[in-house]
Amino acid sequence: MSEDIESRLRAALRPVEPSEEFSRTLLMRVTADRSSQSNGRSHVRRRFKAPARWFTASVAASLLVAVGIQHHLQGEHERESGLEARRQVIEALRVTSQKLDLAYEAVKSQSTSLADDQTGA
Amino acid sequence: MRHCNLRMLLALLALLAPAMVWAAPNPRLALPEFSALARKATESVTITLDPGLLALAGRFLDGNDPQDAATKEIIKGLQGIYVRSYTFDEDSAYRQADIDAVRKQLSAPGWNRLVETRSRKSHANVDIYIMVANNQAIGLAVIASEPRQFTIVNIVGAIDLDKLHKLEGQFGVPKLDVDLPKAPPPNTQK
Repeated sequence: MSEDIESRLRAALRPVEPSEEFSRTLLMRVTADRSSQSNGRSHVRRRFKAPARWFTASVAASLLVAVGIQHHLQGEHERESGLEARRQVIEALRVTSQKLDLAYEAVKSQSTSLADDQTGA
Repeated sequence: MRHCNLRMLLALLALLAPAMVWAAPNPRLALPEFSALARKATESVTITLDPGLLALAGRFLDGNDPQDAATKEIIKGLQGIYVRSYTFDEDSAYRQADIDAVRKQLSAPGWNRLVETRSRKSHANVDIYIMVANNQAIGLAVIASEPRQFTIVNIVGAIDLDKLHKLEGQFGVPKLDVDLPKAPPPNTQK
């Protein structure tokens, strides 16, 4: 009985030459599989390139915005410093003029009292 | 021999150069910060404007405004404006020695006292000094002391006293009727 099974297995598993139809079908399938795989890979490459371009563009835009903001802030700072310097110049000249006024008043009152003395004499 | 003489001459010049620089009249006064007085004062004005700040201020003065235009004219040839002014709420809150330390610098060669006023009425003393070089005023110093206030002003640079006169009406500057000499003799000592 075991010999019978064994012989039947050997007969079922003996190597058989494939038909031409089989070979052709197999080759076609292999070729189709390869082309579909390569299309998938280029699709992946395209999908990967688009985000990379967006990333570069956004980095460049961010840099431009940062430079613009820094330039603006620098200008604002210079404007504030300039206005403060202007205020200080005006204040310094005001103080100077106030003290010159004191000298003027003193000289004027001296002249007046001298004139009064001479008139009195 | 000739090379030896030249080297000796160069060495002599190198030795004398610092002394020559030191001897040149310097219109800038060494003003103390008066930080202790600033803390006591009810009002204090401390202004230090070097050439850079003066140039910056000049850019922000409006030429169309009469006051700004006059100010711009005045600061055109200046290298510095320095002001220390303190007001106190009681008499004799500051020491005369503090002011005399500055006044002492004005006895250096080059400084000429233009005006000295002592007013019994307002108890105000005002001294005006000027430094002249090459027939041009290059420095101005004003020291004003009152019982509750003192002010020191030092202006460095080519001061045009005529323009200072023309400030009449701006900042309340009156026309000075005192005789302002255009070119006092240099190296006049007090």
